[in-house]
Amino acid sequence: MHDLLARYRKYSLLAVVLLAGVSLLTLQRARPDNGIWLADGIAFVTAPLQTVAERLHRRAVTLWTTYLDWKALRAEVVRLRTESTALRLRQLRQDELENENQRLRGLVTLHDRLATRTVGAEVVAREWNGFTRGLTIGRGRLDGIDRLAPVVVARGVVGRVAVLRRSSAIIQLLTDPASSIGAVVHGTRAQGLVEGVAGGRLRLKLAAGEEGVRPGDLIYTSGIGELFPKGLPLGRVLRVYPPAGLFRTAEIEPAVDLATVEEVLVLPRGTTADLGAAFP
Amino acid sequence: MRLPLYVLTVGGGTLVQCVLGPAVSIGGVSPDIPVVLVVLLAIRRGPEAGCLVGFALGLVADVLAGGPLGLHALSKALVGFAAGALPRWFLVSRPVVPVTAALLATVTDGMVRFALLQLFHYPAPFGELLSRVIVPQAGYNALLATVAVVVPTVRARG
Repeated sequence: MHDLLARYRKYSLLAVVLLAGVSLLTLQRARPDNGIWLADGIAFVTAPLQTVAERLHRRAVTLWTTYLDWKALRAEVVRLRTESTALRLRQLRQDELENENQRLRGLVTLHDRLATRTVGAEVVAREWNGFTRGLTIGRGRLDGIDRLAPVVVARGVVGRVAVLRRSSAIIQLLTDPASSIGAVVHGTRAQGLVEGVAGGRLRLKLAAGEEGVRPGDLIYTSGIGELFPKGLPLGRVLRVYPPAGLFRTAEIEPAVDLATVEEVLVLPRGTTADLGAAFP
Repeated sequence: MRLPLYVLTVGGGTLVQCVLGPAVSIGGVSPDIPVVLVVLLAIRRGPEAGCLVGFALGLVADVLAGGPLGLHALSKALVGFAAGALPRWFLVSRPVVPVTAALLATVTDGMVRFALLQLFHYPAPFGELLSRVIVPQAGYNALLATVAVVVPTVRARG
């Protein structure tokens, strides 16, 4: 018997299952409400599992969607950053071009106002070793520049040509300690010398008797000595010191910010005309 | 190997001084990078190298500055020779020696140049030049020498 059951076990199992299924179907066909208790029982077990599975599935889908969104966002951020950097660089270049444009326009306007021949030049090097103050420009003898010719920008005097070469020249700045320019104080007409001071400063040297000079007074070239034409702005008085011996000195703020000069105009040497009207 | 090094020192030193010198100035004072280079090279290679490189660097500086030709050449040659001739018992391998040498070399270079400029009636008073240019520049050069010497030493020990 045991052997018989063992041999036909699988068929037995099949038969039992088929019987159970047919019974269930028959039961429900006869009374549709009869199977509810079984369905409820099964659902009691499977429903929570279903719920958990569904939640897990939703959570996984959400995570995956979030990950995809994050990737896209990151790519977008990188793209925007790159674009922003490029735009900023372009803006900086444009600002620089605009500044250069304004400087050059200023020089062109000055050139038109000056009733004399001028040579425009670009600054190619600076020398700031403290003993001498100079700029090297990319124009020289071949461009018609004279030695000791005055050099100006729209705001005033820069210096004069100290060393002249074929196609370059070195300008001695007015702040060079060896520089000395005849000057006159606007208003009082007091005459003096504007000299460079070690360390890149400027000093006005006047006769001790000149008492009318005040902080804020403007200083122009006097034209005396015929090295610089008359009327070119040199600077503004910052403070006046008491007289010492025969002279009185005043500290001057240069009219031109020499550290930022990029382009200059070189005037012909020996110009004696009053060029003050060209510098409003 | 020596000649390329010297040429590199002269060319590189000039380039760095022209390009960086004005850009790194503090209160109108910029370093004299050629002096620092000359001193460091002279301490390593001796007085002849210091003298030659100092002369070459100074000559280039004279041409670029537009002053009397030979002014910087002479002062830097002297300074290079003196730095290279430091007695060996100064233990030149110690960082404090090159830094002090750079400081003193800058002051000496400035004073020699000032003395030579008197031949050309240079008007600036010595006191003004010393306080506003030479001493601040010497400090700046000592700082550069410190960076150039101390940092590699600390790294090597670390």
